[in-house]
Amino acid sequence: MNEVSTGAAGKTPMIRIKNLYKSFGNLKVLEDINLTVFSGEVVVIIGPSGSGKSTLLRCIKNLERPEKGEIFVEGRPLEAKSRSFKSLQQEIGMVFQHFNLFPHMTALENVMEGPVTVKRMHRKDAEKIAMDLLNKVGLADKKDVYPSRLSGGQKQRVAIARALAMQPKVMLFDEPTSSLDPELVGEVLYVMKNLAKDGMTMMVVTHEMGFAKEVADRVVFMDCGRILEEDVPLNIFKAPKHERTRSFLEKIIA
Amino acid sequence: MDFEYMKSLIPILGMGAVTTVELTLLSIIFGTFIGLLLALMKISSNVMLSRAAGFYIYVMRGTPLLLQLFAIYYGGPSIGVNLPPFVAAVLGMSANSAAYVAEIIRAGIQSIDKGQMEAAKALGMTYGQAMRRIILPQAYRRLIPPMGNEFIALLKDSSLVSTIAMVELMRVAQQMYANSFKPIEVFTMAGIYYLILTSVFTVIFGKMERRFSLYE
Repeated sequence: MNEVSTGAAGKTPMIRIKNLYKSFGNLKVLEDINLTVFSGEVVVIIGPSGSGKSTLLRCIKNLERPEKGEIFVEGRPLEAKSRSFKSLQQEIGMVFQHFNLFPHMTALENVMEGPVTVKRMHRKDAEKIAMDLLNKVGLADKKDVYPSRLSGGQKQRVAIARALAMQPKVMLFDEPTSSLDPELVGEVLYVMKNLAKDGMTMMVVTHEMGFAKEVADRVVFMDCGRILEEDVPLNIFKAPKHERTRSFLEKIIA
Repeated sequence: MDFEYMKSLIPILGMGAVTTVELTLLSIIFGTFIGLLLALMKISSNVMLSRAAGFYIYVMRGTPLLLQLFAIYYGGPSIGVNLPPFVAAVLGMSANSAAYVAEIIRAGIQSIDKGQMEAAKALGMTYGQAMRRIILPQAYRRLIPPMGNEFIALLKDSSLVSTIAMVELMRVAQQMYANSFKPIEVFTMAGIYYLILTSVFTVIFGKMERRFSLYE
């Protein structure tokens, strides 16, 4: 998690997606997606609902099975059958719109769960990592609290710490602030910004255009299962090439 | 009513009640293990396992317990399986309650938000780890009320094993009635015993429910 990086995008590809297709029944959700995310880069994916943004992240995390196409993590193919699949998957952390914290565990136990159960780490060592991470997201004082007693923003920050505990090289954020009260959005974005500053490679699906402008190295606009354009935030927001991008941005910013 | 006679029934019916409790406890323990296995089979993506479990549940829930007990106790010897009444009773009751328990557990597991399994998988857990660490611990708590019902139903249904020569509370009551021809006294006392037993278990399950709902 604490990779040494300048914060700017390095040039080693972390995730490469080639000709990815996915449909649910007759509905084509992803059509011929090609995208490379470089190490240390923050890529923000925007687009109307139903455009396939979440499905794209879920395909990378193997929560959906792609129909066709390939995904590479650090140059190695991500195939469910291959032997390296499990270790490659562990390099990808994911944060969900609805947090999905484990309600029967305290904040600390939530963060410890991955290292203890998946990595078979000693509880003592896992606790140390978990405490550091709770500190990092500003929730050390909530360590013994169950999720039902946390606010949405606090839940999401614990969820981020939980994903980081597996020491992933890439973090996927699937609309991390969409189910939060407006006044709680800031604290989650703050944690994400710090993560980006630390050099984490991130793919973020969000409607927070301020975050995209400020933090993203690149913004990807998706519509109807396709990537319509990708560029640095300045170009996307100031001079979108596609009419569809322009109308989307007008609606969302207005 | 002959109250003196009723008082004299307390110890002898009490012995039958002990057997009833033994039968029920053993059956619920075995039934829960088999039921958990059946539930996991039924929700598994393996079609063979899922169908096998589904068929078992279909048969056991669709036929009377009395018939199942007869099949085991009277049918067994004709294929060379001679079981003592106690074993036959526990086997029949376990096999029967397993089907009901399986459906309770399956519903409990499926009532857990899908996001929990996804979050577990996102951390890199296997299906088994996710079940053990994340899904089942949450399901347990929701299982307690319906399991309490099943337990109490099984306790009462255990009276059926009196028909396969098993001497438990109901059978003792029948014997005492045959001796004394005092049906009101005998069956009232037996009824009181059943009520006490079901009340005790209701209280225990109520306590468990409160204890397991700590984090909500």
